[in-house]
Amino acid sequence: MGQIQFINEFSPEEEFTLDKRIRLLKARKLRQTEEKIEMEGGLDEDDYGRVVPPDDFHFEFIPNNKNGSYYGYEGWRTNYCKLLDEHPLYCDPLDAFVGRGFFFMTRQKGAIWNPDLPYDDLKEAFDEYNIVCGIGSDGHFTPDLRMGFSMGWGGILEKLKKYRKINNGPEHEEFYKSEIMVVEHIISFLHRIAGEIAALAEEEQNPYLRQNLKEMAACNEKMAEGQPETLRECIQWMCWFSFFSRLYNRGPSGGQLDELLRPFYEHDIAEGILDDETAKFYIACLFLNDTRYYQLAGPDDNGNDMATHISYLILEAADWINIACNLTVRVHDNMNEDFFRKSVWYLFKNKNAWPRFSGDNSLVNGFMRLGYDKNLARKRLAAGCHWMSIPGMEYTLNDLVKINTAKVFEVAYTEMMREAAQTPPSTEILWQKFAKHLERAVDTTARGILFHLHNQDKNEPELICNLLSRGPVEEGADVTKSARYFNMCMDGAGIGTVADSFAACEQRIEKEGKITWEALTRQMDLDWHDIDGEYIRQMMLHSERYCGGDTLADHWAVRINELFSNLVRSMVPKIRALDPAYSEIQFIPGWFSWSNTLEFGSHVRATPNGRHNGEAINHGANPTFGFRKDGAVTAMANSIASVQPFYGNCAPVQLELDPKIANTPEGVEKMVAMIRTILETGNTLLNINIIDQHKVLEAHKDPSKYPDLVVRVTGFTAYFAMLSPEFRQLVVDRILAVNGDDPLMPEMRASSGC
Amino acid sequence: MSTTEGMITEIERFALNDGPGIRTTVFFKGCNMNCAWCHNPETISMKRDLHYYASKCISCYKCVYACPCKAQKRINNIHMYYPNLCVKCGKCAEICYAGAMAISGKKMTVAEVMHEVLQDKPYYLTSGGGVTLSGGEVLCQREFAEGIVDACHENGIKVAIESNLNFPWEEIESFIRKLDLVMCDLKIDDSTSHRKWTGADNTTIKASIASLAKSGTPFIVRTPLIPGATDSNENIAAIAAFLKEVDSNGSLLYYELLNFNPLGDTKYQSLKKKNPFAEARPLPKVRVEELKAIAEKAGIIVRAEE
Repeated sequence: MGQIQFINEFSPEEEFTLDKRIRLLKARKLRQTEEKIEMEGGLDEDDYGRVVPPDDFHFEFIPNNKNGSYYGYEGWRTNYCKLLDEHPLYCDPLDAFVGRGFFFMTRQKGAIWNPDLPYDDLKEAFDEYNIVCGIGSDGHFTPDLRMGFSMGWGGILEKLKKYRKINNGPEHEEFYKSEIMVVEHIISFLHRIAGEIAALAEEEQNPYLRQNLKEMAACNEKMAEGQPETLRECIQWMCWFSFFSRLYNRGPSGGQLDELLRPFYEHDIAEGILDDETAKFYIACLFLNDTRYYQLAGPDDNGNDMATHISYLILEAADWINIACNLTVRVHDNMNEDFFRKSVWYLFKNKNAWPRFSGDNSLVNGFMRLGYDKNLARKRLAAGCHWMSIPGMEYTLNDLVKINTAKVFEVAYTEMMREAAQTPPSTEILWQKFAKHLERAVDTTARGILFHLHNQDKNEPELICNLLSRGPVEEGADVTKSARYFNMCMDGAGIGTVADSFAACEQRIEKEGKITWEALTRQMDLDWHDIDGEYIRQMMLHSERYCGGDTLADHWAVRINELFSNLVRSMVPKIRALDPAYSEIQFIPGWFSWSNTLEFGSHVRATPNGRHNGEAINHGANPTFGFRKDGAVTAMANSIASVQPFYGNCAPVQLELDPKIANTPEGVEKMVAMIRTILETGNTLLNINIIDQHKVLEAHKDPSKYPDLVVRVTGFTAYFAMLSPEFRQLVVDRILAVNGDDPLMPEMRASSGC
Repeated sequence: MSTTEGMITEIERFALNDGPGIRTTVFFKGCNMNCAWCHNPETISMKRDLHYYASKCISCYKCVYACPCKAQKRINNIHMYYPNLCVKCGKCAEICYAGAMAISGKKMTVAEVMHEVLQDKPYYLTSGGGVTLSGGEVLCQREFAEGIVDACHENGIKVAIESNLNFPWEEIESFIRKLDLVMCDLKIDDSTSHRKWTGADNTTIKASIASLAKSGTPFIVRTPLIPGATDSNENIAAIAAFLKEVDSNGSLLYYELLNFNPLGDTKYQSLKKKNPFAEARPLPKVRVEELKAIAEKAGIIVRAEE
């Protein structure tokens, strides 16, 4: 268990090719995934390229708070530097790089938020509306790796020292002291690692692998302080940055991968020291070490497509290693058609949920509505499960702040029925109450974000990401205080559940008179277990649904999105006026539940759409199971397009498609058209699982049968076997929803030809 | 928009197997043939059909009280449905929200169909798709079909039909000429055998295919591979030879062999109808390839569905 070095695994005579190394590395990766499942059980999250630590490695944190955890500059720098000093080297002579880690400090440290910084005044509303407030959350923005390439760790240290002299007031002391200490430890860590690899090279008896280790040692020694010059050095630098940031707090997203690598690739080709096969090998090894989000292609400053030869090599490398790769291809007006087609082809060929696709028009035009110019908007890359970020420029809490609108609905509904004797219930009264409570939820959430910005450096300063952001080093303050832009995301969750509930009430109570408010409430209170409970539940469940196509619920969803978006945007002047320190803060609405779908559902009692007590709410902006008899993707995509807040963040479309759909060239062309149209009709992000329904159902019964089955869960990809049973069920439900739940489902309906 | 009404069973959006591109398929109800293997048995009759899906029944027994002719019964606390007593009034289906009783067949106006169809217009335009009228037999409701075709064309949407073409050419010519694509069947070349399996002679069908070929409208001819009925070497060779002979101006895009689809059996069960092909299975891939090779010998383009 937890083997981390693989010296003399092969005989001295064993010969290797790059392809053989990839096959062996991938097989090892699958074994490590199985090991993670065995040691850690299900984990409903990204793969992160993590490995299980060796049995003899135990790290003791040094607390600086009576609750046993540590906080603030002093707590984090002390523990991080100690961990770097003790962290053993994971080294695989088959790999081109080192940089694998075992865990994230944020997961090991206990309570995330410093108890000495209370926010009790906000907690009541957070609990009432089941808000994920984001206070104390981290790492959901994009540092600019190019800053790191241009300086190296040595240059970063020099820059810190230079600015410490300029900003020499006491208010900056802790910042510079911590950052300098961290970077010095990073440099000494890398020197140590390089020495250890060199020692392993001496031990290794296979000459081919020994040579690789020697090259690896030299590369690491140089990267300890220097700037990368070659593609191998550049990727090694990226692997370590990924390691350093993940070790700290799970880390941020990547950036525009093809453009990050291109200068180094072109340099090596011009120098005659690299061929395409080796370049692909390096990139494939990057994916083994680092599963973070990267974007490919998309428009440059002039709107021309950025896809170049290395963009193709990246796709080919991802195809070669074919593991969970979080690659996003940007769909835009001047797109390289050939590259786009090829990316779609790989999606269907490998069925491993990569790449996914983002829609430039909606994202860029939406972001520009905040007052940013087009060039800046185009620099905002696909960076996470459902979010975008400008590398090195923005501080965000993307995907970390969520309001459970289904819970808000429940509060509103309960209040309406409590006052029923005075004011007869109606969907309009319910709407007024929903709007009132949603406003309170949004307002409290915005205040929570402001509280986070003020206090996060005293809780968990972004010691790693600060280094590659514009502002922190120059100003001597954490990114939460010094970023160029503060674009704070606020997501709603449960739009489908709420829209379906409003529509069910309107249809069955007000239009058809099939049931009264009182009778419905009684059934909901008893979780549909009163007389005729299941019958009434079925009636409510089969009302006009969100994503049905111009249905009552579709209209409610549009109304809910408008309300939510306007409320979130209304916080901008309010918070700016409240706090001049954040006079340019923006709040950006989105619709995304991430993997909180189950958690959120567990806090909400039965809802009028026939949902049981505690059942999951709808996923992201997707509809609930059985939204249409034919499960039409187009109907779903149209409805999701109609609820895009359109301010540069996303309400993603999550699709599950059968592989048979694109098993011919014509089929692939249809998918190319489908993806393009989904993104040209207002949608922002498209995640696609290509999944054999039979295979998933089998894997659901016995996950060990398919250890390499990768699915896109919410925005992230994960090994199906790594997911908890509840999450596997969610994936299965979504697949069944799109394939239709009716006996007259499409694949059973033969054309008239039969 | 036209208020002409038609009888349909379903409108399926995001249809990928009913012609080029991304399409919406409108399934017409009612057919002038009665193929023994029909996979859409609910589309044969012009009248409404009632499906019963026992697995969806929640035992609420609301249908027992709703049914005016006692076709729904509660016997020993078990729901029973007796189709021979049923007049297909649909009163049970109206109140069966669980979907155990479901009516197939609803009247829709052209405007109502177009409301659904137009929602996916951007997908048709990007993919080279459009609308497919299928069934059942589209030509049995020609006025309704024509209303949809005209409305689609007014909106720049292409229309294909799936038809058995068992109509005299002079009756259907003007309609066919409006279409962007015709997908038609020639199931069996031998007239006697055709009558035996489909209830209809194939003379008119062949004559219409020949006329269609001359008309210049692009078309595809298909043969479902039904074990023991249509899947002989001789039948496929003869159909292919016929197509080669009539395709004088190259309007035949290709000849397609459709493997047997066993999934229609659920529908027979729900309609409480006997399915003569309940035990039949799709042909092995290698056999489909053999038949494809035989058809190709005639010198036409042949496709075979997996």
